[in-house]
Parts: sequence; structure tokens; C-alpha cells
Amino acid sequence: MTSHATILHTVERLLVEIAGEELLVAGPITMATSFNADLQLESIEFVALAEQLQVCYGASVDFVGWISGKELDDLIALTVGELVEFIASRLPAGSPACIS
Amino acid sequence: MHILAAGGVTLHVQELGHGPPVVMVHGLIGSIASWYFTAGPALARGGRRVRMFDLRGHGRSQRALTGYDLRTLAADLAAVVADLGEPFDLVGYSWGALVALRFALAHPARVRRLAIVEAPLPPSNAHELAAWLAPDALSTAVHTLPHALRDAVTVRGRQAERMTAALTFLIRDSSLVADLCSEPDLEDRELAGLTCPTVLLYGERSACAPAGRRLARTVPGARLVLLRGGHFVHLDARTEMTRAIAEHLDG
Repeated sequence: MTSHATILHTVERLLVEIAGEELLVAGPITMATSFNADLQLESIEFVALAEQLQVCYGASVDFVGWISGKELDDLIALTVGELVEFIASRLPAGSPACIS
Repeated sequence: MHILAAGGVTLHVQELGHGPPVVMVHGLIGSIASWYFTAGPALARGGRRVRMFDLRGHGRSQRALTGYDLRTLAADLAAVVADLGEPFDLVGYSWGALVALRFALAHPARVRRLAIVEAPLPPSNAHELAAWLAPDALSTAVHTLPHALRDAVTVRGRQAERMTAALTFLIRDSSLVADLCSEPDLEDRELAGLTCPTVLLYGERSACAPAGRRLARTVPGARLVLLRGGHFVHLDARTEMTRAIAEHLDG
């Protein structure tokens, strides 16, 4: 099974591809990092992240559906760790790590 | 993905789901995210192919210097839907709703059902315009943003810098404000010729609500639904708005 650490690494790589190396200026992305307060990610970059997660993990990880069920306040407080947990819970057992 | 519109402008397009197509147009200063994180996923879950795109100058579409008038933007929309063979449903918010109206008037056979959310009339009455015409437009422009976004701009940081850069381009460098000011009103006799079933969704506290009442009088068979909230009804009443759009598209 794909470990949380592997998923975290993938999410970090995707975020840097989308928003640039400047995201890491304050330090590496951890499970506690928040998308809004810490990374200051724009909503349009969140769309790009959704697209890349779809490419990476396929339809079984319905990030957009998960996000769209959340209240605005929960979205604003969302952490990388919550996303990693979500991906881990939806990935079929034995899925290879996303390497695309 | 990106598609090429007239004049060589590239537009950023995203799709969710499978089924009969519905195309969604966001408002000024918004982006694809306005629909992507509100009604878009719910409509996709209901068995629709939801196509969303960034208007020129917005989101990840090209920062075009000109062409923010409704006819040019409706031509951009025509490029976005060029490959859809069958009639599609069309949903627009604010300035995007006027783009949808313009498109439906120009291409009546292509639009199956139409949902208009918070369209301002006359177009030059757009919620944002007064603030953008002020001498210190960039600072007053902040007050035209929803509260959640306002914080991002007033608190210094990456989001503030990027939002300010986007606003600066649209308000100061592009023809957007001039295009808004010179946009002619839609005439009642034009609106009376709209043939597709239409729902009008407005916030009960919105300054645009009179436009909703006018459209309800002039567009044949149009139904006006007032939702709780103001102009940012897609944020104020996300669930109710999504349900109202889905009900209308289901017929």
C-alpha cells in the first residue's frame, strides 16, 4: 500500500510544479501545512492541483467531489495532511506510487 | 487543457463528469474556480459533462489586453463549445451570465436550457464598475470582492501579491473598464426573442435584483428565483443555488 510519506512527497512535488519553488521558501511541506494560511495557494492553483491529482491517482480519488462537500471555513483551514489522509483512504490496496 | 479563440487568445478549459453537456461561465475577477468548487462538481455527480473555462484575462487564460465586451466574450464562448455537436445547457454568473445571454440570443439552436445568475442590467450597472472607476481604483476594487477573498488581498503575502497583480492587469492595463462602460443595454425586444427555457437566480439582498425582475417580465416563460444572500449568491447560498440550477436543467 502507498504510504502516507509517499503521498505527501507526491503532493509536495505537484504543488511545486503548479506554484513554483517559492512555496518551499518557508521550509518543507508537512502534514500540518495549511493550503491557505501557510502556502497562500490561490483558488485557481487549487483547480490545477485537482487536475494533477486526477492524472496521478485516477477517478477513485475524487478530490473535487470531496472538496465540494466542504463548507467554506473548512476549505480555508484545509491542511496537506487532510488531503494525504483522504488520498490514502481512497487508493485501492497495492496501488503504485504516482510517478507521472 | 487550453483552446484557441478568435484573435489567437488561448483559453483555459476544464471538464468534470460525463453525460449531457453543461457549460458554465464565471464573472469578472472570478475564475474557473467560481464554478469548480461550487455547483460544478454537484452537476457532474448528477450525470452531466460539466465544461468550465477561464474568461480571457482571468485565471489561467491569456491576459488579453482587449475584448471584454459581451460580443467578443460570446465569440470566445463559441470557440469553447465548438466541438459540442448537440445542444447544451448554459449557466452564467454576473458578467458571465450576460455573456451566456448574448450567446443564447445569437445561437438559439445551440442552447437547450439557460440559467442566469445575478446578471446586471443595464450591463454598465455591473456591481464592480463604480469602485473601478474611482481615482484609487486598485484600493477600492478590494471592496468589490467577496469577504473571503478580501482578507487574502488585505493581508500581505503571496495571495495578496498575486490577486493585486491580476486586478492591476484587468483594471489598469486592459480595456475591461472601458468595455464595461460602453456596453449597450440588452433591448427588451431582443430579450423577448429568447426561446430556450430560462431560470433567473438572484440574491434577495443583491443590488442586481431589479435586473432579475426585468428579465422575468421580458424573457418568455422565464422564472425568477430569489435566494438568500447578496450578489455573491454562489458563495452565500451555494447549496440552494446548485439545487435550483440542477432542477431547472432537469426540466
